[in-house]
Amino acid sequence: MFKGYKAGSFFDEMYGLDQPECLQHYKFLESRFERMSETELNEKQRTLENGFLEQGITFTVYGDDEGTERIFPFDLIPRIIPGDEWTKIERGLTQRIVALNLFLNDVYHDSRIVSDGVIPEEIVKGAAHYRREMEFVDVPQDIYIHVCGTDLIRDGSGNYLVLEDNGRCPSGVSYLLENREAMKRAFPSMYREYGVRPVNQYPELLYKTLQHLSPRLGQQPVCVLLTPGVYNSAYFEHSFLARKMGIGIVEGRDLVALDGYIYMRTTKGLVQVDVIYRRLDDDFLDPVAFREDSVLGVPGLMDAYLSGNVALANAVGAGVADDKVTYAYVPEMIKYYLDQDPILESVPTYLAWREKDRSHILNNLKSLVVKSANESGGYGMLMGPTSTAKERRDFKSMIESEPRNFIAQPVVSLSRQPTICGKYSVEGRHVDLRPFVLYGKDIEIIPGGLTRVALKKGSLVVNSSQGGGSKDTWVLYK
Amino acid sequence: MLSRDANSLYWLSRYIERAENLARLVDVKRYDALDSGRSSAESDDLAWDTLMRVTCTDEYCESFKTGDQKEDVGSFVTLSESNPDSIRQCISNARENGRMVRDQISEEIWLELNRLHLFLRSREARNLWTRRPDAFCKEVVDFCLLFNGLIDSTILHNEGWRFVQIGKYLERADKTTRVLDMLALVEHTDRLQIASALRSCSGFSAFRYEFKGDFNMENAVDFLLFSQSFPRSVRYCLRQLDRQLHGISGTPEDGFSNEAERLTGSLLARMNYSSVESVWAQGLRDYVDSLQTQFNKIGQEIFEIYVLLPQEFRGVVKEDAWQVQWQQQQ
Repeated sequence: MFKGYKAGSFFDEMYGLDQPECLQHYKFLESRFERMSETELNEKQRTLENGFLEQGITFTVYGDDEGTERIFPFDLIPRIIPGDEWTKIERGLTQRIVALNLFLNDVYHDSRIVSDGVIPEEIVKGAAHYRREMEFVDVPQDIYIHVCGTDLIRDGSGNYLVLEDNGRCPSGVSYLLENREAMKRAFPSMYREYGVRPVNQYPELLYKTLQHLSPRLGQQPVCVLLTPGVYNSAYFEHSFLARKMGIGIVEGRDLVALDGYIYMRTTKGLVQVDVIYRRLDDDFLDPVAFREDSVLGVPGLMDAYLSGNVALANAVGAGVADDKVTYAYVPEMIKYYLDQDPILESVPTYLAWREKDRSHILNNLKSLVVKSANESGGYGMLMGPTSTAKERRDFKSMIESEPRNFIAQPVVSLSRQPTICGKYSVEGRHVDLRPFVLYGKDIEIIPGGLTRVALKKGSLVVNSSQGGGSKDTWVLYK
Repeated sequence: MLSRDANSLYWLSRYIERAENLARLVDVKRYDALDSGRSSAESDDLAWDTLMRVTCTDEYCESFKTGDQKEDVGSFVTLSESNPDSIRQCISNARENGRMVRDQISEEIWLELNRLHLFLRSREARNLWTRRPDAFCKEVVDFCLLFNGLIDSTILHNEGWRFVQIGKYLERADKTTRVLDMLALVEHTDRLQIASALRSCSGFSAFRYEFKGDFNMENAVDFLLFSQSFPRSVRYCLRQLDRQLHGISGTPEDGFSNEAERLTGSLLARMNYSSVESVWAQGLRDYVDSLQTQFNKIGQEIFEIYVLLPQEFRGVVKEDAWQVQWQQQQ
C-alpha cells in the first residue's frame, strides 16, 4: 500500500523529509496497513462512515439545498505524535493562552501594552471584535478565553508553527472525540499496542472550566450551552457537548433577562442561569446591545453580564486576541507579559497597513497568502500561487482601499501525510492540527487535537466547509 | 424542564404516532381494495379518496387532485416530499424534534429514529413500497412500536416522559376519531368496512374478544369510543392524558389546576358517564367533530401553559412561537 508513496518536497508526518523508511513511531502502523486486504480496508471505511451517518454525526453545509447534512470525511490513517513532541506543544500552547488572556485583561483595563509602545493603539481599538462595552469591566477570574482552538502547522523541516488562534467559538472538538471512538472500534488491537493517551475526559474538563466562572458561590451552578439553533452548521457539536456535560442546550428564545439576571423558561417557571457557554458570536448575543436584527440572542443579556450576574464563555470582546493582525504581535506579547521567548513560533506576517509591508505584499501577491483580518472558515482568502490574475487584481484594489483589513504570509508548505485516496492507495495530503485548550482553574489541553486534512490534491485549505476531512490524532504515552 | 424541550418531546411523539396510524391505514386500504371486487382504477379512486380526506389537509388534497399526478395516491401519502402529511415527512419532523432533544432521549431511540429517517429517504424505501407495500407498512409500524418500547424502557419516567405520553395519546385519540370519520362518510356500512376500520386501529382481534365477532356499526362505535381497556379507544386515551397532565402539575386527579386539565377531565367524565346512544342522538359525524375540536383545544392549552410560560412574557413571544407551532401542526 505504501510502496511507491512519494513524500515529495514537503515534510511528511510519516516519512519525515523524504526518508526511504517511515519514522520509528509509524512502523507498526505501516505494517498493519500493509497486511490489510482491499476488502478489509473498504469494509472498515464503510462501517465507519455508516456509523457516522447513522449516529447523525454530521455538519450542515450552507448554500446547498440538497442533503444539507453531511458527514465530515474521515481518513483511516491516524496521525501519531510521540509523547515528548507533544510535551513541547503543550508547553507552547499553555504559554500562549496565558499571554493572550493577560493581553485581553490589559487592553480592556489600563492598556499598558499600548502605553509602553509594544502594540499601536489603533491595532487594538480598530479590531473588528474590540468591544468598547468591555472597557474596565472585570470578568470572572480575569479569564477571557476559556476555550481556545489553536491551529498548528508544520513547516518544511517539521517545526510546529502557530497559524492562528481561535478564541471566540472554536469548533471541531466533537469530531475529535467521535473520531477517537470510531478508531477504537475499527483498530482495537493496534490502538492498544500503541499506548495512546485518552481524550474522552474533555466534556468533564469543559464542565469544570464553566463551573469555575459561576457568580453564585456555594451553590451548584446552572450552566447552559447557548446554540444558534438546530439549523446551525455546528449543531451536532452543540448538542453533543451539552449531552456529554449533562447541561441544558438552549436557544436565545429559551432565555429571558429580568432585573439584570438571566433565566431560562421551564415548564415549572423561570430558573436562574449562572454560566452560559455560548456558541454564538458577540454580534448576535443581545439585540439591545449589539445587532438589532439578531433573533438568536437574548435582549438584556449584556446588561446582566456587565452586572456580573451571569458569566459567559468565552468573554465578550475576546475576539481582539484572535484577530489576524493581533496575531503578528503575539511573540511580542509573550515577551512583554511573561518575559519569555515563544515556545511555538508563528508564521512571518506582513501587515498591509505598514507601508513597507504593504509594498512587499503588493509586489509579491503571487507568492503570498493574503487573508482578510476577520474572516474565518477559509473565506476571504487569496492563495497567491494558485490565484488567477483577476483574483490578484481584485485583492490588490481591496488591500489598497482597506489596508487595515489585510495581512499576508508566505505560503507555508503544510506538512503532508499519507491519506487513503481511491479504494486501495495512499497519496500525500496536507494536514494541520487544532488542539483545544481549556482555561479555568487550571489550564487543560487534551492530548492531540483535531487533525484536519485537505482532501483535494495539492490543496492547502483544510476547512470542512471547503472540502476538508479529518484524521484521528494519537498522542503516545511514550 | 426547558419549555422548548417539553414541546419537542411532545411533537416528536405526536409525529411518530401519526406515522404509525398512517402506515396502518394505508396498509388496510390497500388490502381491502383486493376484496372490493372493483378494478384497480375504480377502487383506487374510492378507497384512497377517503384515506386522503382523513389524513391530509384540504389544501394538499386539492393540489394533488389538480396536479399532474406523477405520483399515485399511495406514494403521495407514504413517500411524497411535497405532501407535508406523508409518512416520510412525519418521520422527518419527528427526527427534527428528536435532534433538538437528543440529550433527553436515549442513544437507542436516536439511532432507530435516524435509521428510519435515512431509510425513508433512500431508493430502497421506494423499491420496497413498489414491490411489497405490506412489508413497507410493517417496517414503519414496527419502528413506531419499537419507539414506544424504547421510550418506556430506556428513558427516565420523569416529566419529559409524560410529555411524550401526552403527545402520543392526544394524537392517538385524534386518529381514532378520524377512522370513525371514515365510517361516518359511508352511507351503508357493511361488514367489510367495519372490519377495515377496526383493523386500521389495530383493534380487530380485541373487538372480536369483546363483542364476539358481532360486526355492526353500533358495536364498532361503542368499542372505538368507549372501550375501557382497548388502548386506542378515545376514552382510554383521555384517561391516560388526564393522568399524565395531573402527574406533571402534581394536582390530585379529582381536581384541576389549569385549563388543559379541566378540559380533559370534563371530557373524560362525559365519556365515562355516557354511552353509544348519546352518539346516535347527536349524530356520529357531529359527535366526532366536537371531540376533535376539544382535542385541538386541549393541545392548544398545553402549549399555552407549559411552552408559552411565564404569563408576563406572552405578549412578547407569542407571535413567533405560534408560527412555529402552526408549522408543526400541518
